[in-house]
Amino acid sequence: MKADTRRLVVHAPMIVLSLLAVFPVWWMVVTSLKPENEIFSTRLWPASPSLENYAYVLDAIPMIRILWNTFAMAAATALAQVLTGLCAAYALTRWRFRGSGIAQGLIALSWLVPFQLTMIPNYVLATKLGMLNTIAGLVIPNAAAAFAVLVLTNAMRSFPKDLIDAARMDGAGHLRVLCEVVVPNLRAPLASLGVLAFISAWNEYFWPLLLTRRIEDTVVQIGLQMFMTQEGNQWGAMMAAATLASLPILLLYLVLHRQIIDSFMRSGIR
Amino acid sequence: MFRRQFMTTALAATMLTAPAAMAEMAAKITEPVTITFYSYNLASAGLGKDTTEGLIADFMAENPMVKVEAVAAPSNEILSRVQADIVAGQQPDVAQLVFRDLIYAAKDLGAQPLEDLAGDELKAHSEGMVPNGLALGRVDDKTYGLAYTFSTPVMFINADLFRAAGLDPDQPPRTWAEVKAAGIAIHEATGKHGFFPGAFGPIDGTFVYQSLVMSNGGQVREGNKLTYADPAAAEAVTMLRDLRDSGAYADIDVAAHMDTFASGDLAMFLFTSAIQSRMVKAADGNFELRVVAMPSFGDKPTAPTNSGSALFVLSQDPVKQRAAWELTKFLTSKHAYTQITSKIGYLPLRLDIVDDPKYLKDWVEANPMIRPNLEQLTRLTPNVAFPGPNYRQVESMMKDAAAEAVLGTGDPVEVLKAAQERGQALMPADG
Repeated sequence: MKADTRRLVVHAPMIVLSLLAVFPVWWMVVTSLKPENEIFSTRLWPASPSLENYAYVLDAIPMIRILWNTFAMAAATALAQVLTGLCAAYALTRWRFRGSGIAQGLIALSWLVPFQLTMIPNYVLATKLGMLNTIAGLVIPNAAAAFAVLVLTNAMRSFPKDLIDAARMDGAGHLRVLCEVVVPNLRAPLASLGVLAFISAWNEYFWPLLLTRRIEDTVVQIGLQMFMTQEGNQWGAMMAAATLASLPILLLYLVLHRQIIDSFMRSGIR
Repeated sequence: MFRRQFMTTALAATMLTAPAAMAEMAAKITEPVTITFYSYNLASAGLGKDTTEGLIADFMAENPMVKVEAVAAPSNEILSRVQADIVAGQQPDVAQLVFRDLIYAAKDLGAQPLEDLAGDELKAHSEGMVPNGLALGRVDDKTYGLAYTFSTPVMFINADLFRAAGLDPDQPPRTWAEVKAAGIAIHEATGKHGFFPGAFGPIDGTFVYQSLVMSNGGQVREGNKLTYADPAAAEAVTMLRDLRDSGAYADIDVAAHMDTFASGDLAMFLFTSAIQSRMVKAADGNFELRVVAMPSFGDKPTAPTNSGSALFVLSQDPVKQRAAWELTKFLTSKHAYTQITSKIGYLPLRLDIVDDPKYLKDWVEANPMIRPNLEQLTRLTPNVAFPGPNYRQVESMMKDAAAEAVLGTGDPVEVLKAAQERGQALMPADG
């Protein structure tokens, strides 16, 4: 009995906090099921739930196409950031060259430059290269990230140098060392970085807003924004769209929940 | 907000000064031509987008030589998009911009003065428009923007809350003194909110604020001199402060005024008629919605100011200019205004279609709530845009000061004076 009471005291706050965390998601789903004249009702379940808002969203904007664009853009961005970060980190930690410290310092400094500052020159260049309305145009300016380089440089610094030297003595080239020795041993930080980069790219708004001119070529954050206007927000439709937009991330979480929690623990919640 | 202002300023600095009107507009289109149309209605899901797409399709069917490539951007981002595309060498042809950008569009963005571009065609096209219709887009006696989607402030009323407070919704408040009395009575009797003007907060309501100021005989600027702290203008703000201090003014989040009214917790809401269809849906089965004209300062006639947007022709190529002008004419034609008014909820720039059975007559009879707004069009007073490269910041400072004067604790006139002094330093010095 005493143990049960202690367990209850320990678990009760956690249960309350969990409910608090889950409530906004619950409210999003509930609101997505409400008709227009019930939107501001505070009932925990709609009086007459319907899928009208979902049908409206799918009719009003090409939601499936937008979700696919977003997935392709986020996956390609994450992959590119991991690859460029891996190569840069390997070069910075394994090769001694003049100015490596300065290079690393400059990469760290570039992390402090907001993307908005480089957005217009990037846009002008993307336009000249014919990359408007393309996934490549969305990905390339974000293909290298200082955060990725710094995270992987730190991870690689703690990697045993002897292993690499042994592989080199066995005649392995740098690419082989990287692929067959380093990568298999850095799976955890690579996965964490990939997950963070994917989520960050999934939430991207400003760059796609500038680069894409047609709704069919845009991403989900722009799609959600279409339900917010100066004449008021279409809450039901927006919550339905937000629910649909959450599903791929939820799926990703179900598959990779250990790595996601690990990545947040390592880097702090961003 | 900072990022948006930063982007706009950075882009403005990057752009070259506006080129003057180039070669004369082509007399007609003899070969296929593609033009771009930047519109914020296309960036919102629903009736705005569907109606605009329908109008573009109608135009292309009527003008088979012209292909219109639509570019969507939200209203608060569309200027940045136009600027970015000009910088990137993607010259926009027609752009739907809000009225605050009017002077900037005319002087820095390269908008074509329609008198120079179209001459007598503009005169012929403007026949049947409301008095002052062309004045909405005029800078230095030239028309740079043709009013497109616009409205004036009307007062939405929750008739049920009036009845619950023992008031007669058939006798709605017509003056600010009556609004104060009704607001206090409703708040005290029901515990709900009395009145709120959609003038402040993140949702643009400058036109509501300017309507109030001008209805009291004030001005926000005269030439390059800011005047929003002058007595008549300041008095309008002091009146709102008095409403607030009395309890008639709703104590709500300024970003949530529309939602508060839609939820049935606000009795009187002064805002654009463009939200009418949304309010009708929200009120369905919840409360009785009514619409009345904006209240006046005693016997003074109101000076309703326009919200919304105008169309600007930005093309530099003569053939594209012709196509852009034809599109602009089409989008402000009787057919287009019938669609825009009946489907989106904005006002028709052409009052002659209101009673015409070919156009809006049936719709207006079925939707009498638009009547108070149509009546206000006879007193339509152009929204005042600010000049110079800092125009957005000047306007933003004015809005913030007015909000602080009404919602803060300091002396409202002093708050306005201090902001006006700071803002004046950002205004152009010459003429």
